[in-house]
Amino acid sequence: MDKPTIEQLARRAGLDKALAEFPEDVMAAAEQASGSLERMKAPTDPRAEPWPPMRPGGKL
Amino acid sequence: MSDLHWMTAGEAAQAIAARKLSPVELMNALLQRIGRLDPRLNVFIRLDAVAAMETARAAEAEAASGRLRGPLHGVPVGIKDIIDVASLPTTCHSKILIDNVAGADAMCVSRLRGAGAIVLGKLSTHEFAIGGPSFDLPWPPARNPWNTEHHPGSSSSGSGAGVAAGLFPLALGSDTGGSVRNPASAFGIVGLKPTYGLVSRRGVFPLSFTLDHVGPLTRTVSDTALMLDVIAGHDPSDPGSSAAPSGRYASGLQRGVSGLRIGFIRHFHETDLPAHPEVNAALDNVSRTLRGLGAEIREVRLPSLGEFGAVNRIILQSEAWAIHGPWLRERPGDYGRLARRRLMPGAFMAAGDYVQASRRRLEMIAAVEAALDDVDALMCASSMDPPSRLDDAAETERTYPRQARTPFNVTGHPALAMMAGISSGGLPLSVQFAGRYFGETTLFQIAREWERAAGTDEKHPPVS
Repeated sequence: MDKPTIEQLARRAGLDKALAEFPEDVMAAAEQASGSLERMKAPTDPRAEPWPPMRPGGKL
Repeated sequence: MSDLHWMTAGEAAQAIAARKLSPVELMNALLQRIGRLDPRLNVFIRLDAVAAMETARAAEAEAASGRLRGPLHGVPVGIKDIIDVASLPTTCHSKILIDNVAGADAMCVSRLRGAGAIVLGKLSTHEFAIGGPSFDLPWPPARNPWNTEHHPGSSSSGSGAGVAAGLFPLALGSDTGGSVRNPASAFGIVGLKPTYGLVSRRGVFPLSFTLDHVGPLTRTVSDTALMLDVIAGHDPSDPGSSAAPSGRYASGLQRGVSGLRIGFIRHFHETDLPAHPEVNAALDNVSRTLRGLGAEIREVRLPSLGEFGAVNRIILQSEAWAIHGPWLRERPGDYGRLARRRLMPGAFMAAGDYVQASRRRLEMIAAVEAALDDVDALMCASSMDPPSRLDDAAETERTYPRQARTPFNVTGHPALAMMAGISSGGLPLSVQFAGRYFGETTLFQIAREWERAAGTDEKHPPVS
């Protein structure tokens, strides 16, 4: 994410005050989010359910 | 009696029940030790010494008249300061909640009191159980009793430091990405993340609803089993609470490991996050020892640690943003820098990202369940490195995420971390055992056998 995109997303999330007072922390948070999203593999099965499963009788 | 501070909870409870030890005598010894060591270790945010001593006197009178409340009668316990204790503040180690006084005990605290345990006070955490050891908060961070210049593990740091230093034999912690097991690893004690839903979260300030677990920190495997016996059980007021039966966790402690099949997840520490050579050697030693005691060690493969970590972070930070968003918008300056950085990423994730992570989570659960079809339990690294120096920010940033604990927060399987050895620098090294849902008894069976073989319960930090 580039800086203008991060600032736009931060404002949309209501983080104007954090952006003004702690801009480096906002940038670091956005980078963490990007890093995690890049490392996750999306499920390949379109029928894959989320957890907790939307069905009764799971093991937990 | 000498060295009361190193008594296990089980030993203390037995001695009190047999009227060989007074709860007041035990409390006095621990309060004196706390007075001497806590200024260096920063374990307590709030020491409730007066109330604890009053309760000890009442426990002494009850024991004298033959009335024992339960298996922990007269035994002191520390409570992580994200867990409610009636009439004491639950600050979460944060300016945000500095005046937040709890109206009632959390369910886990209530169960401990019901069993006769005595609450000593509220313990240091990382801010909101995520911030990290920080120096920009109203209270200083807990210190590692093995070497106060080194990292104190993650958020249940006060709980772990107090247990390891002999300030109390039992503590409650919480574990969302490994925060019971990290201090257990850093301090050479025993930390259990129970099966998701086994211990009630009612009265525990949330970090991430579907990843949060409450668990015990103790110095021995048998104390962990004893404490779990007390705190486990269904609670209808916790929507994540399981109705599965609980109890009798100490029943397998003397069974040994002969015939047990243990899956060793080597790729976690060999290729995913190559561990420090001393950690590698310690894990090989645990594996060799258990094999020598009759266990069958098999190699097991699971999804990579990088992927487990990503799913954990996306879910954790999305759920944490839902909790902290309002404060982060209005009062960002009332958080410490580390918590602010770790709580805001959820603002940059979309609803679809959270759902994708939750779908991938179910596939990861299936992978662990499939592995557990062929073995009785799993074994792997906990921390990939000995605790870093606190003043070495680069090394701390490098080593902090190098761990194998988050997989079992993602999947909800029970996992226990304990000492695997001591590094050449005099710091604890760790191993982790994980098991089937509600299979804590088997975990204790394996962990006890390793503890007995290696004498890990006899190793204490050099503090006095």
